[in-house]
Amino acid sequence: MEEAVRTGNLPVDGRLETANDAALVAACKERVPGAFQELLSRYRRPAVTLAYQMLGNMEDAEDIAQEAFVRVFQAIPRFRGQAAFSTWLYRIVTNLCLGRRRRTKTTVNLESIREPRSAESPSRKVTEAMLTRQVLEAMSPDLRAILLLRDQEGLSYCEIAEALTLPLGTVRSRLSKARIAFRRIWNQLSEGGEEPS
Amino acid sequence: MKCGLYEEQLSSYLDGELPAARAARLEAHLKTCPHCQAELEAMGGIASHLRAASSLVEVSHDFDKRVIRACGYWQVKGWQRPVKSYLRPLVIVALILLAALTAVWTFFTQPFEPMPQPAPARPIVAPAPPGSIAPGLPDTEQQR
Repeated sequence: MEEAVRTGNLPVDGRLETANDAALVAACKERVPGAFQELLSRYRRPAVTLAYQMLGNMEDAEDIAQEAFVRVFQAIPRFRGQAAFSTWLYRIVTNLCLGRRRRTKTTVNLESIREPRSAESPSRKVTEAMLTRQVLEAMSPDLRAILLLRDQEGLSYCEIAEALTLPLGTVRSRLSKARIAFRRIWNQLSEGGEEPS
Repeated sequence: MKCGLYEEQLSSYLDGELPAARAARLEAHLKTCPHCQAELEAMGGIASHLRAASSLVEVSHDFDKRVIRACGYWQVKGWQRPVKSYLRPLVIVALILLAALTAVWTFFTQPFEPMPQPAPARPIVAPAPPGSIAPGLPDTEQQR
């Protein structure tokens, strides 16, 4: 497996499920059956979620994620692997979302957030999720994108800089602004300026 | 105002991206400032809020199908390569069969032409001298 990580080859057992992203990308270039489906399976949810948090509409989010995967599929033969696959995918999703946000002003669809199945204080969880969505919606798209890439997707500063084609210093300062903005809007929207726990 | 300056550094400090000297100054400030302490803690909670909200998002069951259809079903399924690898011998076999069938068809559909028969041999007769009766003529001719 270590070897596979370094070389981007499929593991010895040939199982796509245990292959790393680089190996799957290489397998996609070789048209190995099932390789693209495995990438799709891994990143379907993160891509849709990122798009949803950016746009606030589930239908648009799935459209954007679908378009992003189609672009990935078409461009994967030319993908040189200088950035991680996830960074590349998130860049495509983010750019598509920012492009759509510029064209159309979407509204928050709170019904898209469904009740969780677990019995553990569902109402509180859903309420906080709605509040989070409202806060994100109130933020500027650029700040929202950088906040989601860092705090939701867990990208490093360097990966965010690659994904958004920004200097590292801009990432640092913009992320700081985004977090401060999130906090201020959260406090404004919370009843009585309640602090987020 | 003093807190405002530090507030801008809280985000980088949270991610371990603040240079050591500035981090040390910020830590000294945090020990004496409950407001910045609370702000730092709240900033650290943003990630959990975002993840909690995203955990409630459900992707449609047919999402993968739609993506694969949009990409081109056979290309995604990786059938392009097997088809190509099988195509060459198939084409060769098909061409050989076609040539053989054409030959057989041509052979059986051409009209039958019998071999040309050689002309019957005719006796070589020397020319008769003038005034003599040519030999080999019918008797009636000789009687005349």
